[in-house]
Amino acid sequence: MTDERRPAEGRRDEAGRLGAGADPDVWEVFRREKDGDPMRHAGNVRAPDRELAMHYAREFYSRRNESVRLWVVPRTEISDLSDPDLLQPPLDRSFKKPGGYVMRDKLEIAKRRAGEGAE
Amino acid sequence: MTTESRRPTRQLIEPDLPAFDASALDPELRAAIAELLLTMADDEFVIGFRDSEWTGIAPMLEEDVAFSSLAQDEIGHARLFYELRGALTGEDPDRLAFHRQPSEYRHARLLDAPRQGWAFTITRRWLYDTADSIRLAALANASFAPLAEVVAKVRREERYHLMHLDAWLERLGTHHGRPRGQVLTALKQLAAVALTVFAPLVGEQVLVDAGVLSAPMSQLADRWRSDATARLCALNLRPIPAGTPPTDGRDRPQPDESFLWLWKEFTSVARLEEGAQW
Repeated sequence: MTDERRPAEGRRDEAGRLGAGADPDVWEVFRREKDGDPMRHAGNVRAPDRELAMHYAREFYSRRNESVRLWVVPRTEISDLSDPDLLQPPLDRSFKKPGGYVMRDKLEIAKRRAGEGAE
Repeated sequence: MTTESRRPTRQLIEPDLPAFDASALDPELRAAIAELLLTMADDEFVIGFRDSEWTGIAPMLEEDVAFSSLAQDEIGHARLFYELRGALTGEDPDRLAFHRQPSEYRHARLLDAPRQGWAFTITRRWLYDTADSIRLAALANASFAPLAEVVAKVRREERYHLMHLDAWLERLGTHHGRPRGQVLTALKQLAAVALTVFAPLVGEQVLVDAGVLSAPMSQLADRWRSDATARLCALNLRPIPAGTPPTDGRDRPQPDESFLWLWKEFTSVARLEEGAQW
């Protein structure tokens, strides 16, 4: 319900928490759609306190039975990491990706071997 | 909100209304249950429409969605009660809801007043929901199983309504200045009228004797008064005054103007075209 870009750069505390850089009335909501699913970010609600934040999360993210569990977190408590030196360094890092390593033939051989073992 | 795709909004896993044989019931008891159901359905129907008037104008966007959702829940409960009555009497639930004359509606007089301000709406709704929860609890072990089953489902939803209304009453009632003053004014105006929820029913004794209703309405009213007063006093608000439920608390030979207006609103589509389907 709010502008995602609002947290101001450089106003985080030592733990990386958004703290005063975030709107204190905004609560981030995570939801589990069905048992066994991971918790996924659903969106956010604006509320003056935790109790109403829970109520509004319930209304926005499960009034039509969309969720089996909700987590409600004050945005001020979120630790934020967006430093490009840590996340997007400018050097070539393609060697960290699994691409270029052809698995297909090896997989075929492994499967055949496993099949023989089972007979 | 996210734009991720939603699942269909209506997922009827099982019908809300259990199947049963109405002819197995004693006719006197059947009539008494039907009357009880009509009062409950009309209560939920009218408060549902009253509170849905806040859609678009509630104090904040989140509350707008929440309060409209609560109002929709009440319409859903009304539907269940009208359907259950229909299964007993053969009446069409839609006709019960939309095709009666204003004087035939049996809701408690508490629900006649217009919505007015937010504090008034919250106070009225809190009074109604706490009274309704006492009534539902008295039906939880009803010997007529389909009613007990429906009531059990409704109570699970009303639990959240009570949490939400409690949260709002506390915030307004303890916020010194205008909100608290408005809650106090609303309580003064409404607390005694709230007893109309427990107005005695035709056939009430039959319901109690048959184990449908656990106690007469006058006893439920005392139960409610003591519960509600404890909560109100904890917030330093005024207690519910002594008194017995008025016998004519659901009668409206001459419906008041406010309800007539609401009736015209909620029947407007049905009156446009007889038998319309939507």
